[in-house]
Amino acid sequence: MNRIAIAVASIWVALAHPLAAEEAEAVINVPPEGSVSTEDGLAAWERVYEVVSNPRCANCHTGPDNRPMWSGPSYGKTRPHGMNINAGESRMGAETLPCATCHITSDAPNTVPHAAPHVGLDWQLAPVEFEWFGKSSAEICAQLKDPERNGGRDMMGLAQHLVEDAAHKGFVLWGWSPGGTRVRAPYSLQQHVDDILAWGTAGQPCPTN
Amino acid sequence: MQLTVNGKTYEADVEDDMPLLWVLRDELGLTGVKYGCGIAQCGACTVHIDGMAVRSCQTLAGSLEPGAEITTIEGLGAPDALHAVQQAWVEHQVAQCGYCQSGQIMQAAALLDMNPEPSDEEIDLVMSGNLCRCGTYVRIRAAIHAAADKLKEA
Repeated sequence: MNRIAIAVASIWVALAHPLAAEEAEAVINVPPEGSVSTEDGLAAWERVYEVVSNPRCANCHTGPDNRPMWSGPSYGKTRPHGMNINAGESRMGAETLPCATCHITSDAPNTVPHAAPHVGLDWQLAPVEFEWFGKSSAEICAQLKDPERNGGRDMMGLAQHLVEDAAHKGFVLWGWSPGGTRVRAPYSLQQHVDDILAWGTAGQPCPTN
Repeated sequence: MQLTVNGKTYEADVEDDMPLLWVLRDELGLTGVKYGCGIAQCGACTVHIDGMAVRSCQTLAGSLEPGAEITTIEGLGAPDALHAVQQAWVEHQVAQCGYCQSGQIMQAAALLDMNPEPSDEEIDLVMSGNLCRCGTYVRIRAAIHAAADKLKEA
């Protein structure tokens, strides 16, 4: 049996971060090579797209104007983040108003509606090459399989990124428990990791339109 | 827990989930910091932690790093030695009702620490998270420029 189970998060807990979870939030289970058809890989991708295009993810995966977005049912009309926020080229407001002015780094639960959400990592936009707000499934799929635009990650790298972020109570994990009245990302972190790996095992197939 | 505020060490018997705003106001009696919205939408509760402006309503006591240096409006300057921003605020008669102004001043002081010569646009980018119901924004901007000039001379 070549099914590998790696509890990457537990390694991170042992390594270093005081905010790390006591138990792994998700584990990496790579499907056997050749076990996922292209059709199933595409279905897994569509679930991945539902997650990454969700406002909890997409609102901070914005472009070179460095402006986060407010979108989704809890905001009504889609609009740039209030307070004239511009995260600058640093993507964390170092040149303007640091995101952490309001989004205080903390792993305490987010429970207050409309308050600035927080996570266990310093709040920031995703790197600009990871821009995908408003982009199509095909566009984001092409982006996520391109090492130039995904942080140099292969399938395992993408899965590890998700699990490691969760071990720090980071942005990824927060997407499934955003608190307040914010819409949560669909499925679960574990399902998302499983879908990334199924998509990867199928050869990272992308929709054509 | 132990806190360092305006250079003084305080002991406060508070829960970890108490916002710093209420530790400062209700436990330490430092009422210069104001409660406006409680959800980081207005900036009235702005203080400095290790020189960085933060919304104290969102900063939980338990999330403070040991040894963090907290500065409130009471510690930014002294009555007989105002901070350049406070002095400029007086000279430009910025305040109307005044409620938001301690937050405005703390944010402006942090801005000038980071950017000693901000343009109007840069001021707007940093100060837009501090709301003023009286609409003193034009005077705020003028006072920041004046404080920048004063700090350059110093």
